Amino acid sequence: MGAKINAIEYFFPEKLVTNDDLKLEFPDHDFSKFEQKIGIRNRYIAGDSETALDLAVKSCEKLFKEHDKSEIDYVLYCTQSPEYFLPTTACILQHKLGLRKNIGAFDFNLGCSGYTYGVSLAKSLINSNQAKHVLLVTAETYSKYLHPKDKSNRAIFGDAASSTIISYSEEENIGNFLFGTDGSGFDKLIVRNGAARYDFNPAEEELVYGSDNVYSNNHLYMNGPEIFNFTNQVIPGFTNEILTANNLEKGDIDQFIFHQANAFMLNTIRKTAGIEASKFFIDLMDGGNTVSCTIPIALKKYLDKRASTHKEKIVIVGFGVGLSWSGGLLEL
Amino acid sequence: MNKQEFISKLKEQLELESEIDMDTNLKELDEWDSMNAMILIGFVSDTFGTVLKADDIKEMTTVESLIAKIGEEKITAAS
Repeated sequence: MGAKINAIEYFFPEKLVTNDDLKLEFPDHDFSKFEQKIGIRNRYIAGDSETALDLAVKSCEKLFKEHDKSEIDYVLYCTQSPEYFLPTTACILQHKLGLRKNIGAFDFNLGCSGYTYGVSLAKSLINSNQAKHVLLVTAETYSKYLHPKDKSNRAIFGDAASSTIISYSEEENIGNFLFGTDGSGFDKLIVRNGAARYDFNPAEEELVYGSDNVYSNNHLYMNGPEIFNFTNQVIPGFTNEILTANNLEKGDIDQFIFHQANAFMLNTIRKTAGIEASKFFIDLMDGGNTVSCTIPIALKKYLDKRASTHKEKIVIVGFGVGLSWSGGLLEL
Repeated sequence: MNKQEFISKLKEQLELESEIDMDTNLKELDEWDSMNAMILIGFVSDTFGTVLKADDIKEMTTVESLIAKIGEEKITAAS
C-alpha cells in the first residue's frame, strides 16, 4: 500500500504583466538582461478584488473536470495569503467546491517549501489510513504584499494557484522526504506589519534596499543576497541527503525539479550540486516565481512534455521563507 | 589570476557595459542593481570560495574594496 500523485492542475490570474510593461514603469532598468539571467518574461497578477482562494477555486475546478470531487476526503491548503485571520481558508474552499462534509481540511502557512511539505503530509495521511484521496492546494498572491516601487520583487514574483490529487495506490510512488528549518533567518523574507507582533501602520516610512528598491514594513521584504547564500549553501547538500534517504544516487534520478526561484540561482545550485543541465528543470519564463506553486507548475509542464511513458524518478525540493526547506522522491 | 584578469572576469560575469578599474565604485554604476549583487555573490563563491554576505555587499565600494573582501591571496591562487 502506498500513495501516488494522481493529477495536477494550475491556474494563473488573467492580468498579465510582461517585462515590457515593467520597462514602462522602470525605464532605467535593463529588463532584457533580467529576462536572460533570471529567466522570467511574464508574471500574472491577481485583480484588486481577486484573492488566492479565487485562484485556488479555479485551479480545482480544472482538476474536477476529469476527476470525481466526491472522492476527496482531505484538503491541505498551503498559503501565506489567507482570506481571513480566521477561519482557516480550507473550510471556505471545501464549501465553494462543494466537497463532502465528512472530510478533513486545514491551512498550513509555508512559502516555497509548501508543496513538498504538502506531498509528504498527504502521503502520511494516506499511509496511516486517515485518507484515500487528498486534495493538496497551493495558492499565493504575493503581488498584494509588494510595494509598487519594489522593482526587483515585482519582476520576480507572480500569483498562481495549483491543485494536486494524491491518492492511495497498491505500490508506493512517493519516497522518503526530509525537512529543514532555520528560524534565525525569519526576517530574511518577511511581511512584518499587520499580524500579531506589529500593527499595520498607514504612516509607515518608505525604506530602500539593495540598489534602488523601495519597500516599507507594511510590505514584503526579501534580503536577496542572504536568501541566495542560504540556498546555495544548504540545498546542494540537502539534495544529496534526499538521495541517501532513498538509497539512490544522482545517476538514478531522471529529473530534479526544484522550487523555481530564479534561473540564475537554480543554475548556481545545479552546478554546486553537480547535476547535469538536461536532468534539471528550469522554466519560469511564463509565470515567474509563484512561491509554493512553482513545483506543481513545473511538474505538470515536465510531465506533459516528457517523451518517456515509463515511470520516472523525480526529486522535488522546495526552499525559502522561514527559513524552511523540504524535499523528497516521487515516482511517476 | 592577477588583478587585471580579475577586473576583466568581473566585467564579463556581470556583463557590464561600463569600463571598470580598481577605483570604480560598482554600486554607483548606472547598470548596478540587486541582480548584479546576486551574480557577483555567485561568481565570487564559485571562483574563490568566499561567501559574500549582504553586509559585505552593503560595505563594498570600489573594485579594490571587493578584492579586499574576497582576500587578495584567493584571487592570486585562482586560475
